[in-house]
Amino acid sequence: MADPPKAAERLLRALLPPASVDAMTGDLLEEYRATRVPAAGRRRADFWYARQVAGVFLRAYGWFVVPLLVTVVVRDLFNTFRDASGASYLDGLPRLALVPVSPGVAVAVLLATAAYGTWRTERWAGGVVASLGLFVVTWLFMAVWWNATLYPFAQAQQTNPYWIQAWQWSTHRAHPPTLAGFNPDTPGETFLRWMFWDNVGALFFAGLVMGAVSIVCGVVGSAMGWTCRRLVAR
Amino acid sequence: MADILGSFEQAVLLAIVRLDDNAYGRAILNEVAARLERDVAAGAVQATLDRLERKGLVRSRLGSGTPIRDGRARRFYAVQAEGRRALNEAKAAHDSLWRGFPRPLKARG
Repeated sequence: MADPPKAAERLLRALLPPASVDAMTGDLLEEYRATRVPAAGRRRADFWYARQVAGVFLRAYGWFVVPLLVTVVVRDLFNTFRDASGASYLDGLPRLALVPVSPGVAVAVLLATAAYGTWRTERWAGGVVASLGLFVVTWLFMAVWWNATLYPFAQAQQTNPYWIQAWQWSTHRAHPPTLAGFNPDTPGETFLRWMFWDNVGALFFAGLVMGAVSIVCGVVGSAMGWTCRRLVAR
Repeated sequence: MADILGSFEQAVLLAIVRLDDNAYGRAILNEVAARLERDVAAGAVQATLDRLERKGLVRSRLGSGTPIRDGRARRFYAVQAEGRRALNEAKAAHDSLWRGFPRPLKARG
């Protein structure tokens, strides 16, 4: 008999409360083997199974994703649309107004997700998976968002002297000869192309940082959730 | 009067009533998908079943496993008296909303 992808099944187990694990994984396994594989083939059945796991994640932790996505969108808007001197409009806001979109709130959300995940699933792994899942969803959203907004935002940025200067500096500056064989000077680089690679770099860098932070928050948040559960159980 | 049931909650409850003794997760999922004529996520059905159980509208018990499930237990559901009452109230509210309208509604303009 065919089996669904091992990683997806392990993930599903880490997302479910202990009382639901056997019944839910059994239902999906039965549907996978009895209906999906015979009707659509192994690959499509695997895709169906992965979609079900993603659905379970989003139903359990979807609300935690919202503040992170709002932070990404708001920060990107304020980073893109600056005044002519390059100052972000976000800088002029009172400090209190910046709290909802601060990195501290993102960390707090990851911690809360991990704590809730451990509480809900009664497992450390549940919290870590919840935190990592949140990171993956946010990162995928960033990839889609930046691709979708690249062209329209670049049109607006090309009218701003700050961004023109940034583009010129990036493509014509004198680089130190430390990177042998690599010449980043690209005088023929168009604004759009420069912006595209800037986004790719930011996506890669943000992914590394967020991935590391979500693992740390997953472990710390899981410890918090575990401790709360033990205290309540006493 | 109990909480008004959402349309998906009604679909799940009615599937349990229809399936009677065979109302477990996968069967409910397929019954709901067939009645609504669309693909339904297993997580959506499971979350609804959990919610209905917390509200006291259904009760569940674990059954035995089968080889195709690698021996994992099935969880069978049964609608409680409170669940049947809620379904009847939802039907009455639905009928009351439609009373006096010719069906189907004719397009205007």
